[in-house]
Amino acid sequence: MSTETLDPVVVKQPAEPLFSKRRRKFIADPLSDDNPVTVQVLGICSALAVTVKMEPTLIMAISVVFVIVFSNLMISLLSNLIPGRVRIIVQLAVIATFVTLISEVLKAYNYEMYKVLGAFVGLIITNCIVMGRLEAFAMANKPWDSVLDGLGSGFGYAWVILTVAFFRELLGSGSIFNIQIYDSSLMPTNGLFVDSIGAFMVLGILIWIQRTKSGYVEQ
Amino acid sequence: MELLSLGIKSIFIDNMVFAYFLGMCSFLAVSKKVTTAIGLGAAVVFVLAITAPINWLVQEYILQEGALSWLGAGFADLNLEFLQFIMFIAIIAAMVQLVEMVVEKSSPALYGALGIFLPLIAVNCAILGGSLFMIQRDYSLSEASVYGVGSGLGFMFAIVALAAVREKLKYSNVPDGLKGLGLTMLITGLMGMAFKSFIGITM
Amino acid sequence: MTIIIGGVLSLTSQVLGPAQKKSIELDTKSQILGAVMQLNKKQDDVLGIYNQRIISLVVDYTGTPIVKDRKGNPIIPEDVNVIRNFKLAKENRELPVYKFMNAENPDKVEAYILPLYGNGLWNKIYGFIALEEDFNTVKGISFGHVQETPGLGARISDLEIQNRYKGKTIFEGDELVSIEMLKGEKRDPSLFGPHEVDGMSGATLTANGVNAMLKDYLDCYKGYIEKTKNQR
Repeated sequence: MSTETLDPVVVKQPAEPLFSKRRRKFIADPLSDDNPVTVQVLGICSALAVTVKMEPTLIMAISVVFVIVFSNLMISLLSNLIPGRVRIIVQLAVIATFVTLISEVLKAYNYEMYKVLGAFVGLIITNCIVMGRLEAFAMANKPWDSVLDGLGSGFGYAWVILTVAFFRELLGSGSIFNIQIYDSSLMPTNGLFVDSIGAFMVLGILIWIQRTKSGYVEQ
Repeated sequence: MELLSLGIKSIFIDNMVFAYFLGMCSFLAVSKKVTTAIGLGAAVVFVLAITAPINWLVQEYILQEGALSWLGAGFADLNLEFLQFIMFIAIIAAMVQLVEMVVEKSSPALYGALGIFLPLIAVNCAILGGSLFMIQRDYSLSEASVYGVGSGLGFMFAIVALAAVREKLKYSNVPDGLKGLGLTMLITGLMGMAFKSFIGITM
Repeated sequence: MTIIIGGVLSLTSQVLGPAQKKSIELDTKSQILGAVMQLNKKQDDVLGIYNQRIISLVVDYTGTPIVKDRKGNPIIPEDVNVIRNFKLAKENRELPVYKFMNAENPDKVEAYILPLYGNGLWNKIYGFIALEEDFNTVKGISFGHVQETPGLGARISDLEIQNRYKGKTIFEGDELVSIEMLKGEKRDPSLFGPHEVDGMSGATLTANGVNAMLKDYLDCYKGYIEKTKNQR
């Protein structure tokens, strides 16, 4: 008589869909409840100086999304290979590489914007959002998840700075994307909106509105 | 005279915080106290004063087009500017490590007071910003050094003033959504307006 | 890893290098031509027009042509770093001159285009002035700025302001008096003499910067102007 043991039935888990609910949250959360700029207080540095007009802001937003997504992807892929002690250095090196790439491409194909953005393209390296996401997420998560998280944070940052730029350009220069809407010399803003002061005001009010909507209170 | 003018300009008019809002991220998120602000400010002044001239030298003698010609005629065409970001951030990180070690040895009290800020300075936008602006504006070595110290001092004044205001705000009735970052933005805007009055200074 | 990063970046730099050089060249040359003609960077063949009609050289304060730059290499006028030279005393500056030649008669100079650089209210201002063959009448002028106030100082980039200089003269007899932008805006062209242009309301400080810039640079080129006139 042979004793047969039944092999435990193994149910193969279906692979998580590319845009499962969990994954959709990676993109959705930073857009509102967990916005990197207004809630997490990251990435503000560059948000002010470049938002004078919408065109450079758009280029900046695209650049930042590019850097976050690809840095997240790269670090996530390499996360097992990075020794703990040199973690920060490797992260900085990866970020700096992608920023240099974007900067060189900009210099070659859109020299106007390269001149307008100037040093701020380089400052993406020190943009707290990029480093923040690498440390908080990409080091410990899978590549595709990291890409999604990068997209979420990137877009979260993008919509905030584009909104600030919208108001600054409209009220400060009277135009949108350089299309003149009205004669700005008629509006007595005294050049404040074009200056960083206008940016502070608009951003402050934007944060107020956004946090009131999402109910986040800073202690 | 030009240098003095540049120095004054970088402290008050071209202020790292009020004109460009650089270097605030870590500070805003972590602290509201004047004492930490002073410590952070001092550290930034120190690091900026060192990294600006060093990065200038790197740009002039290693990165620029034709910079490496001192190595030999064959290198005269080399343009390594695409390595600029990587080299600058590497130098900044290295300098910060050095400063950290020196401070730890020479003044443990200061080291304790600065706490987490010291390593964070390496990714502080103001430090990298200082170096990048200096290159963009084509400063000479002496101008770069003055600019480094000046912008550091300007940064320090700004964050100390901001911390002082924020400390007092603890006793005020602020609407929930505005508490913290929102209000800080508005305060910075108002203070920036005040600093604009310095534009009238001509030497 | 360092090797990979270094490799990737070098490769990018090599690949993008030519496109970048072209962008910078296009930018500089359209600015120069902008003093004498209206150009659309995307439609017109800026580089072609430039090669056909511009002869460039560099002179020093006495008007003597400079052939080698400070490192001993052959000097390229379009590459002269105006910003660095601005910081030097006038006697030590490298001064580019761009001669705009006549389309029909390529030996005849139609205009002399000279670069300008100076301090505006908030940051730097720059431009090019085009003088007719007599070195006196302004054929055209173009201005740019880094950070002047939109609607106020930034108006110097507007065609309307730049056109005010057309036809004005810089010499009163033998004396180089430059052109002054007055305070306030009166909008009646008949009120202004040959060396004055209407100001910009609310932008006096930027206007002062423009005046200083013009005087400074026209003075630098006096040596070249006299030498060329004497050779005629």
